[in-house]
Amino acid sequence: MGPLVPQEIIGEGWNFFIAFIVGIGFGFALEQAGFSSSRKLVGIFYGYDTVVLKVFFSAALVGMLGLLMFSLFDWIDLNLVWVNPTFLWSAIVGGVIMGVGFVVGGFCPGTSVCAAAIGKLDGLMFVGGIFIGIFIFAESFPLVKSLYMAGNFGHLKLSTVLGISQGFLVFLVICAALIMFWIGEAAEKRFAREDITREV
Amino acid sequence: MKSHYMNPYLAGLFLGLVLLFAFFFSGRGLGASGALKRVVIETVGTIAPEHASNSVYFSKYIGPDKGNPLNHWLVYEMLGVVVGGFLSGALAGRLKWKVEHSPGITSKKRLIMALIGGILFGYGSQLGRGCTSGAALTGMAVLSVSGFVTMASIFGTAFLFAYVVRKNWI
Amino acid sequence: MKELLQLKPRLLFSIPIFITGLVLALVPENTTQPYKLSAQDMLLEIQSGSEMVTPDDLADWIVNKDPSIQLIDLRTPEEYEQYHLDNAINIPLHDLLSPEWVDYLDQDVKMNIFYSNGITRAHEAWMIVRQLGYDNNYILQGGLNYWVETILNPTAPKNSSPDDEFARYDFRKGAGQALGAGSIQKSNNTSTPKPKIKRRPRKKAPEGGC
Repeated sequence: MGPLVPQEIIGEGWNFFIAFIVGIGFGFALEQAGFSSSRKLVGIFYGYDTVVLKVFFSAALVGMLGLLMFSLFDWIDLNLVWVNPTFLWSAIVGGVIMGVGFVVGGFCPGTSVCAAAIGKLDGLMFVGGIFIGIFIFAESFPLVKSLYMAGNFGHLKLSTVLGISQGFLVFLVICAALIMFWIGEAAEKRFAREDITREV
Repeated sequence: MKSHYMNPYLAGLFLGLVLLFAFFFSGRGLGASGALKRVVIETVGTIAPEHASNSVYFSKYIGPDKGNPLNHWLVYEMLGVVVGGFLSGALAGRLKWKVEHSPGITSKKRLIMALIGGILFGYGSQLGRGCTSGAALTGMAVLSVSGFVTMASIFGTAFLFAYVVRKNWI
Repeated sequence: MKELLQLKPRLLFSIPIFITGLVLALVPENTTQPYKLSAQDMLLEIQSGSEMVTPDDLADWIVNKDPSIQLIDLRTPEEYEQYHLDNAINIPLHDLLSPEWVDYLDQDVKMNIFYSNGITRAHEAWMIVRQLGYDNNYILQGGLNYWVETILNPTAPKNSSPDDEFARYDFRKGAGQALGAGSIQKSNNTSTPKPKIKRRPRKKAPEGGC
């Protein structure tokens, strides 16, 4: 059955409308979770607020479980679902740069747009920074092109690498996530910062 | 004390369903940096069209057959994020112009840090082919190796680097 | 009590997720290729007989060098080596689902015509590919045996036969000669119109990423 647009079960013209609806849900979820506040977001790195961990992993768990279930019931053809290609080295180095950016700036791109939408000027500043960063990347692209293209493994799934079924991998991720949730909530008590959590 | 935010697990469940909705309808997940990239491409293409078409990176996205770079799924999705975020903020009474920062630093410093962080994140997101939402969250949901690698890399580095910038936050 | 309330959302979320995950981990993965045509659709198509191509039509298309014809020989490679129709490719029936043939079977450019000695193998292959949703696949009526009988060695009709029997005989004889000897003879046989090649929207590769 699904995905509906790539199989032309519903017209291509609807795709942008769907994108807009998806975006509304995305933005709403982020803002409701408190992702429009940088002090709440970075809480995970100091232990006083682990909302990022909880929201990020519970969303990922629901996403992977749902996809697997849909595929089992033939509701979605996983061959038509985009799997991010793996370029190992650029993913690692890019991730490192993003990680520093995250804890310095207090946002990631989606959350900064969301923060800017409710009037956070630091969010707006972060968005401006992203524009500059992207521009710099494009200008320096010839210099980093070899890194950008290095370690291409194509549309590789982790279950293939580990040689286990997708269902079993998802189960392992669930176990890991539930342990992390537990640790996260313990950390919130251990590193509680009433002064910060009251304000944000 | 009752939090005025939605319960994180409930918000996560909701976000996961949104993600699933995107997969089911469009066969693709969420993303954010891609939309911002297209804004940059369009801006550079308008201000300095020659420069844009000479740029190795930008020229992939512009050309007579490519159409307007802004006419893209992620751009419409990001417009939705603005609307959705605004709606949620309005419902919760959080609409307010302000610079949120720890009492330990000034607004100016916070804004500068946000700008630097944004520059780094913008650069990293292009190198890593996506940000927290496009590469890490969506990538993990489809079980792609890059999703797990990017997630571990972003959060791992941020944890390690958090000590360096702790004065900005706690 | 306060402790319990605080734990509740996490457990409320964790327990169903854990159970669903456990169940899905134990269920074998869905690797079946989804059938695109229901049994009912198949029955209707078989009853209409629209998958059949008569030897006369085929001969006509071959003589006229119709470029959109792709003959597919479903017999074993040995049989294929011994004799096959011109320009036919060999896809042995047991090899039908091998990935290397997908581009031949699942396409919207040519009209595939399956044949074997009789029609059994051709029909079996056709049923499988049709259920997979592939269009533009047809079967040579009667198979090679009937082809030889009707086109290559047509028997002259009796003197008392109606005129169109003679016309058909002439055509077959001409076509047989053309196919055998190479002297092209334009047929004025009114053959049934060739089925249209079904175009279909290109299957899009998944798109995404930032």
